[in-house]
Amino acid sequence: MEQWWQGLEAAEEEGRPVANVFVMGSLAEILASFDIPMSFPEITSLQTAVRGKSMDYLTAAEDYGYSPDICGYVKVDVGLHLTGRDHPNGKLPKPSLVVSPNTCNTYIKWSEIWERIYGCPVYVLDLPGWRGTAAGRADGEDFERDRAYVEGQLRELIALCERLTGTPFDIDRLRDVMAEVNELSDLYQQLIAENRHHPAPFDAMLEGLNYMGIANAYRGTPEGSAFMRVALEELRERVRLGIGAIPEEKYRLLLIGTACYSHFRRFLELFHGWGGVFAHSEYMSFGGGGIDKGIAYDLDRPLESLAEQILSSSQKCFSGIFFSQDWQADVVRKWDIDGICYHGIKSCRTVSTGLPDTREWQMREHDIPGLFIQSDLVDARLWSDAQMKNRVDAFFEALASRKAQARR
Amino acid sequence: MGMLVAGVDVGSTQTKALVMDSEPRILGRSLIETGARLTEAANEAFRLALADAGVEEKDVAAVIGTGYGRYRVEFGDAQVTEISCHARGAVFLFPDTTSVLDVGGQDTKAIRVGEAGQVLDFCMNDKCSAGTGRFLGAASQALEIPLGELGPLALTAKNPVKMTTTCTVFAESEILGWLALGRKLEDVLMGVHVAIASRSISLLRRVGIEPEITFTGGVARNTAMVQLLEELTGCPINVSEESHYCGAIGAALFALDRALAGAAADARGGVLP
Repeated sequence: MEQWWQGLEAAEEEGRPVANVFVMGSLAEILASFDIPMSFPEITSLQTAVRGKSMDYLTAAEDYGYSPDICGYVKVDVGLHLTGRDHPNGKLPKPSLVVSPNTCNTYIKWSEIWERIYGCPVYVLDLPGWRGTAAGRADGEDFERDRAYVEGQLRELIALCERLTGTPFDIDRLRDVMAEVNELSDLYQQLIAENRHHPAPFDAMLEGLNYMGIANAYRGTPEGSAFMRVALEELRERVRLGIGAIPEEKYRLLLIGTACYSHFRRFLELFHGWGGVFAHSEYMSFGGGGIDKGIAYDLDRPLESLAEQILSSSQKCFSGIFFSQDWQADVVRKWDIDGICYHGIKSCRTVSTGLPDTREWQMREHDIPGLFIQSDLVDARLWSDAQMKNRVDAFFEALASRKAQARR
Repeated sequence: MGMLVAGVDVGSTQTKALVMDSEPRILGRSLIETGARLTEAANEAFRLALADAGVEEKDVAAVIGTGYGRYRVEFGDAQVTEISCHARGAVFLFPDTTSVLDVGGQDTKAIRVGEAGQVLDFCMNDKCSAGTGRFLGAASQALEIPLGELGPLALTAKNPVKMTTTCTVFAESEILGWLALGRKLEDVLMGVHVAIASRSISLLRRVGIEPEITFTGGVARNTAMVQLLEELTGCPINVSEESHYCGAIGAALFALDRALAGAAADARGGVLP
């Protein structure tokens, strides 16, 4: 990730264009084929929280007039741009282009802020019909129409990148990038599957987030695939040696929602202290840009295939978020999960809506114990340690009691 | 009398301590304001409970701390959350309990329990104290009426107001606003109780409303709250003279498990059923 930062800083110094993109639909394939470095504002925002600096930027944005209720990522990013783009990890580049899918309610409004500040073009990718129940819609009658619609938009982005870089589009270069994504996707799936072992060799809310960050920042590059290969080898060695993510694994958990970066270590301590490990997380799925769903690009017809896969992976990802009960039940079975933690984000309703209802449904239909807690991505004010610990402790007490009864 | 154990519940507003024997029977209890010094409150409550039971500290085989200040019970052998303790205590008081509602100082907890008092599911209010015991405290302060008189006075209401907030901070201004409009004190008070009861019921619905429901915590002493909960759930609500001590009772029962199991018990998991 340090190298990724160095790449962004070098592009700014050399006057090369940088694109601001989002994890859920970065269109890395096209941007990488033009060698346009990608800056992920969601990642750069969360990094300020991990470094304990997010409140400085949040406060700057709120002083400027942004409401406390707005997405924390947005406000940290606005604060960064208002205060000279000095990030704890380096100098944040000015965007020359913004690629904004409609996969989050906030992305487009966020993009308009950069457009106002820097006058950069905002390319909006309109993905139809992703917020429905039909995860298998890729087989539906409307799919070809939707695919053609997305492909047309990809051609518009290609024309925009050509204008911005002065470089003609090279379809063979796109094929190379897509081949790397195919491999990345395959490796990422294998990596997640390694955690079906007991003990789980990695924590999906610790090491898993590193894998996810690399998968986004290095999507479509040989470095991304190389990293995943090494990580996979390491995990397999850990499995062979019986080395778990934590010293003594007692409970295997699934996390629904995202991380709390302002209290990243503390959050994990609350669970690890009881011997709880996150064997899987929904975050590794939707936050990985859909690669966990299996991407297999047809390199003989790259643009058509890219449109197909974007459409299908976004549908699967978002059906996963909004109607994830079956996916959760499947993970519980395959990853041998003892309980599900639903982590609501105060400043992000997109990933938090419906969590209590899903928790109740899983308990009622599948007898899967669930814990509902709330904090935030980057806003330290929304963390209440005593109350968080109380809920987590009570959940583990109930799990302990349940296990003890099962043994009798 | 046999073996003696104790539970100390350091809550956000009050600290309760209770001494029990191995029958198990309650031998002594105490209740004091928690204040700002949690360790001192725990020590003092324990000392008073021992005195009430007429026993000495050296006779007590195990102590469990519970409540928000459970880690400040420095003489305790282990800590258990008040969620597990209220569940255990409620089933001790009323063995057929399936749901527990604990309206405490800053938390409201709805708990579904198993036959042995184990927690099957629980739901709590958000980190904001809206609709908790603190809300009644704010009403008591604003109206200058002792907490114990709020319930009986509310029950005399003929035309309760409809409170638009359960926010503890805004409660006072809304109460004063209704009084300024000329509404009767008892009608305003009943409005306050309805607001809390409605919010408690929505939490209870999350874990399932099934008889028998046991009401625990300090607010269980409030007769208007009990009546409203019965009306809203359509079920009789179990309330005991000991409801206020339910967390401490549960803690003492966990202490008894621990004492019976011996010192080999695990610091946390081992005290659980």
